[in-house]
Amino acid sequence: MPRQNGYVPIRDYAALGDGRTVALVARDGSVDWLCVPDADSGSVFGRILDARRGGCFELQPDQPFETERTYLDGSNVLTTTFRTADGVVRVTDAMTLGGPQLTPVRELTRSVEGLSGRVPMRWRVEPRFDFGRKRTTIGLRSGRPFAAADRDALAVGAWDAGEPTLSTDAIEGRFDAESGSRALLNVAVTHQEPAVLPCRDDVEDRVRRTIEFWESWSARVRYDGRWRDEVVRGALALKLCVFSPSGAIVAAPTTSLPEWIGGNRNWDYRFTWLRDASFTTDALLRLGFDDEAHSFFWWFMHASRLTQPRLQILYRVNGGYQATEGELPHLDGYRSSKPVRVGNGAAKQVQLDVYGDVLDSVWLYVESGKSLDKATAKEVAKIADYVTEIWRDADSGIWEMRSDPTHFVHSKAMCWVALDRACRLAARGAIPDRRERWRRAADEIREFVDSRGFDPEKNSYVRAPDRRELDASLLTLSLFEYRDPRDERLVGTIEAVKRELAEGPLVYRYRSDDGVGGREGCFLTCSFWLVDALARAGRVDEATRDMETLLTYANDVGLYAEEIRPDDGAFLGNFPQALVHLALVNAAVSLMDAAR
Amino acid sequence: MSFWGALAGGLVGTVVLSSSLRFAQELGLTRMDLPLLLGTVFTGNRRRASVIGYAWHFFNGLWFAALYGVVFLAAGSASAVFGALLGVVHALFAGGALVNVLLPAIHPRMGTRWTDASQTPILEPPGFMLRNYGRYSVLGNVGSHILYGAIVGAFAGDFAIV
Repeated sequence: MPRQNGYVPIRDYAALGDGRTVALVARDGSVDWLCVPDADSGSVFGRILDARRGGCFELQPDQPFETERTYLDGSNVLTTTFRTADGVVRVTDAMTLGGPQLTPVRELTRSVEGLSGRVPMRWRVEPRFDFGRKRTTIGLRSGRPFAAADRDALAVGAWDAGEPTLSTDAIEGRFDAESGSRALLNVAVTHQEPAVLPCRDDVEDRVRRTIEFWESWSARVRYDGRWRDEVVRGALALKLCVFSPSGAIVAAPTTSLPEWIGGNRNWDYRFTWLRDASFTTDALLRLGFDDEAHSFFWWFMHASRLTQPRLQILYRVNGGYQATEGELPHLDGYRSSKPVRVGNGAAKQVQLDVYGDVLDSVWLYVESGKSLDKATAKEVAKIADYVTEIWRDADSGIWEMRSDPTHFVHSKAMCWVALDRACRLAARGAIPDRRERWRRAADEIREFVDSRGFDPEKNSYVRAPDRRELDASLLTLSLFEYRDPRDERLVGTIEAVKRELAEGPLVYRYRSDDGVGGREGCFLTCSFWLVDALARAGRVDEATRDMETLLTYANDVGLYAEEIRPDDGAFLGNFPQALVHLALVNAAVSLMDAAR
Repeated sequence: MSFWGALAGGLVGTVVLSSSLRFAQELGLTRMDLPLLLGTVFTGNRRRASVIGYAWHFFNGLWFAALYGVVFLAAGSASAVFGALLGVVHALFAGGALVNVLLPAIHPRMGTRWTDASQTPILEPPGFMLRNYGRYSVLGNVGSHILYGAIVGAFAGDFAIV
């Protein structure tokens, strides 16, 4: 499909990663997104946010073509097969994994294999460091094409891929891929140090080792239900979002992919939300990734230490808590969806539900057999104490409303979850015991939620005492077992969500104004939450049907964006979104458990 | 005037020089990483290279301080300004010949005009006055060596400024 004004649908992207950053590769062979050195740094390829100024790495036949794509089994290494009138070519893309040896800081590798005939190929690297804000000079280093912009630089290696030609803004080449031929292109990135210019043998060896790493990692997935392929892909997508030096998980590796084309709901997701803590710990433990769960748990306990007992909503992947929101006015935005934002103003909001997520995560961690050190145990107890003091406050809620704070029922219920888990932890002797105080506050919260947050006419919990509409976040009351998932009130809430917020298995977050303006699509996380809630309510057949349908909405390589348009299935929002894949994994495991 | 003072100044000056270059790296002014450049002469392992590189750089700092001391003895005086002037010469030598010509000549992992990365990975060469590592590398190199020289001169000359 030709690009429209330089853009392809979000659905057409596949993701590569190395545990530090993520590249997005379009179906036409162009790498349109890559931030270096880390996922939350500026982009060097940012065409997805500005088709003219963003920068990219194109690689495709120089004649009309059709493509098929797939990841190599159990890996995050992508193969794209180009079929043309003159032959067939396969491109294998990988972000290679480094090591202690003299390897580039980051490395993107593209192998081109001629499968049949003779196909003319062209490639073009347009580096635009720091979202295109830095002046880039292009020249040669030791005979190799090289682009530099202050602290950042990249070298382009081309073996059997034509003679590179250099211009002021790009490095490009052409070659013919004949049956049996193998060409190799390599972008070696450096940051704050001299560049490493790799040799071909080493690059090919790293690609092999990268494939082996992914295969052995994904083989550890502990799930033997009917959707193993999808669960493994979900786990691999999640692993792409892990910043391996710290164990933090970015909500998504992109910024400002719009929640509606042309709209202003464009946010930077390249941070770690504590809200995702519980879902992440749960998913990692359920899949058997104890090490990753351990790393993530200790990352968020350490990251939040500077603000404890108050918890900030989100933190940087390196543990920093500054996420000042700004705009990049020089970028057009994906299909003119402005503004492009960096940083996230939600960091300063009060969102009470986060306490429930974190305490539940601590509970899951301890329940899995791990223990807390004394200092951490004391901090956890202090967080629970803090919840008893603040639960009566209004907040901005799980959806980070930019309208006036209110008393969200979901937030209050999650405060109850926080105190309930604190009591469970104290009963186990894992944290100091102040159960009497916590239980008293928890009872008050329950009284508030059940009397003022429940609408007998709708037979459902509602968004807030002063906002009697539905909110899909209330589905998580089943997931966190605020009540028995088969309880009449929770089943009533499921029914109300299906009635008022769902289109088939797809679910909107809410229908009312949230202070931002503009439209948005259906929220895929909520759609998988609905499956999960149905499974826990014992409605396995219904949940299975919805799950099967939701799985058909994945793109050709099994990935999801944050949202989807129900009418045409177009992806919206940042991509790939960790929370959606977490919800998918958890729903699949819940269904497997329920079916048993 | 004290030769031992020059050596003590070399110790302090090397710490200051290393730290200021590291700050310049963090501020995005240069990609020069001297410990990595020096350490990779001996090993292709990044961690080991950094440790070896720092040790070698420290040794160089003392060795150059001894040379400064010899010049001060020959001149019969030492001061911060005199040391700073020697620092300019030191920077020109380091950026023009030492790192630009001599280091690539002996470095098994650095690109030169007559080697490329066909068989083994190589480090980007620094170029004249380290300009390959960023346009402010020249300033970083000269500035940090002036600072180093001034400290060595001050220590050797009983903290005389001029």
